[in-house]
Amino acid sequence: MASVTAPKKLMFSKSLYPLLVLTLLAIGLSIFRLAVGLGPTTNMNDHYPWGIWITIDLFIIPIAGAAFTISLISFFFGYDDYRSVLRPAVVAGFLGYLVVGILLFLDIGRWNQFYNIFNPGILNLHSFLEEISICVTLYIGILTLEVLPILLENTKFRNSIKWIDAGIYIISGAGILLSTLHQSSLGSLFLLMSHKLHPLWYTPALPLLFFLQAGYTGMGATAIAITLISKSKNLPLDRKLMRRIGQAMGINLLLYVCIRIGDWMGAGEIRMLLKPDGFGWIAWLELTLGILIPLAILFTKFIGHSQGPFWAAVFALMGTFLNRLVITWVGLSEPSSITYMPSWIEIFITLGFIAGGYIVFDLFVKFYKLMPEKHRTN
Amino acid sequence: MSISRRDFLKLSSAIVGSSLLPNLNVHASEARPSGQQVAMLYDATMCVGCNACTNACRQWNHTSAETDNRSLYDSPPELSANTWTMIQLHQAGDEYSFVKRQCMHCIDPACVSGCPVGALKKSNEGPVTYDADRCIGCRYCMYTCPFHIPRFEWDEVIPVVAKCTFCYDRIIDGKGPACAERCPTGALVWGKRDDLISEADTRIKGSNQRYIDHIYGEDDAGGTSVLYLSGVEFAKLGLENVGTEPIPDVSEGTANIVLPGIILGGPFLLGLIRLVSKRGGWEESWPV
Repeated sequence: MASVTAPKKLMFSKSLYPLLVLTLLAIGLSIFRLAVGLGPTTNMNDHYPWGIWITIDLFIIPIAGAAFTISLISFFFGYDDYRSVLRPAVVAGFLGYLVVGILLFLDIGRWNQFYNIFNPGILNLHSFLEEISICVTLYIGILTLEVLPILLENTKFRNSIKWIDAGIYIISGAGILLSTLHQSSLGSLFLLMSHKLHPLWYTPALPLLFFLQAGYTGMGATAIAITLISKSKNLPLDRKLMRRIGQAMGINLLLYVCIRIGDWMGAGEIRMLLKPDGFGWIAWLELTLGILIPLAILFTKFIGHSQGPFWAAVFALMGTFLNRLVITWVGLSEPSSITYMPSWIEIFITLGFIAGGYIVFDLFVKFYKLMPEKHRTN
Repeated sequence: MSISRRDFLKLSSAIVGSSLLPNLNVHASEARPSGQQVAMLYDATMCVGCNACTNACRQWNHTSAETDNRSLYDSPPELSANTWTMIQLHQAGDEYSFVKRQCMHCIDPACVSGCPVGALKKSNEGPVTYDADRCIGCRYCMYTCPFHIPRFEWDEVIPVVAKCTFCYDRIIDGKGPACAERCPTGALVWGKRDDLISEADTRIKGSNQRYIDHIYGEDDAGGTSVLYLSGVEFAKLGLENVGTEPIPDVSEGTANIVLPGIILGGPFLLGLIRLVSKRGGWEESWPV
């Protein structure tokens, strides 16, 4: 279903072959996992019932939040300069959520009755996991509506979905609400784990922290995507746009770090940063990589440098990854010597579907118009 | 997680939640008053570690033994999908004590609060029950439980979550849990929770320093239906200090503010932002 106007292009360039192999392997391994169960294929156990798939889900979702932050800024705050990245953000968000959906399906043990989460007769409204399930599913629907016009742009079907254009404010508004709900609810999941999660990461403010983190992580992912796309398409980098994204990221990061440190001080946990038990060091690493370095770039003249916002984003994403890694795995205490390391099957399924997402994104870049060919003049 | 923050959350949730979406502001578990629920009292000082209870559990619930490599002893190392209760031994120097492990059947269970599909339920009678027909196998209950109780059938293609059911199928027939009815020494008894608490109080007061002056489970984790008496520190028996607040309080309080707040306030806020921000004003169709 390649765009009709496209000249004959190689569907998969040679550089994508390894990724293609990884994706096919992951599909095979997934069928195997569904056929034989979680025990023989993963290293998850009664002490670490969640593994790397959950960690990756909780990292992909804030990255895919790019779609919602950029929609919010351009549709509602009305900043025109962000509009040129709406398309890549929406497409990347859509693919990110699809990968998360696949990984979650593989993760649940009784996948044969996964549809129970949509059964209004039994679902539990107190459960943040239930709320996330519903919001993510609805949000994938919203993203599909936003991607369809891009997919059908130069086809005769485009006219039959004119109603999407008419309702785009309602559609994207609903998407923003659903994102706000589930991005924060990912943090709320851990409100039931105050006894397990390390105090430097546990706080009743987790929903707010996760929401803000999704904001700057999504914008960071956008900054990285713009840089990479302009490089691969040999387009000049839109410095003004990069600066704008950098500013929005900076404000978000600043809010985040104020609440995080304020919470540590309020709860009397700040001295734990000096404890030589490993967790203090991890918290410092997360703070430095993910927050202080990006802030040092975004609030100085480096923000104007062509690579400035890009590197700030790279570091912020590393911080987010570390944060989600600690919260889903390292920072959960178990009174047992049993540990968890992902099995090769878990790792290759994860890598394979991420690779698959990248391949599809590459196809979008190749066959559909994701970035304006030249800058707007306004 | 200081008390003041928690109280603040509770208070705000009461105000915001009840005014916006009253139907959300119901507590997850609505059972009969906790004092009238069935409970068990385990007195570690009376337990001789005979394992009659664990065998009774296996017979009634048809769980298979976890034998050693000679297939001689039923010797599970810890609770598992096949072992819903077990006797463990704490020994340090001269001090030793047996301790029984099983689901604590919290008055206000975190697993029930977190379960997305209501597979885990606090029954009217008190036991926390599990319904495999609802369960999707997400394993959130295993993380939310402060006592590390629910276990998973990792080796099954379509596994279930397994834990002690307080022999709910016996309770509704008016019988007691299999383990408590089999105990030969009286270390494990069952009855109404109120009655067991006063029995435990009597034992603590009547004995000369035999017990630690605390009924574990009376208030711990907001109260549990399995109560413990012990002569050695509870933490040494693996009964950790989990506080006296019900575990779901913070989460449910947040749910009662955040969800209605965003669902009702969000569209209003978005509309307001759109009105106030006069930038752009572009009317092109999507995609831009």
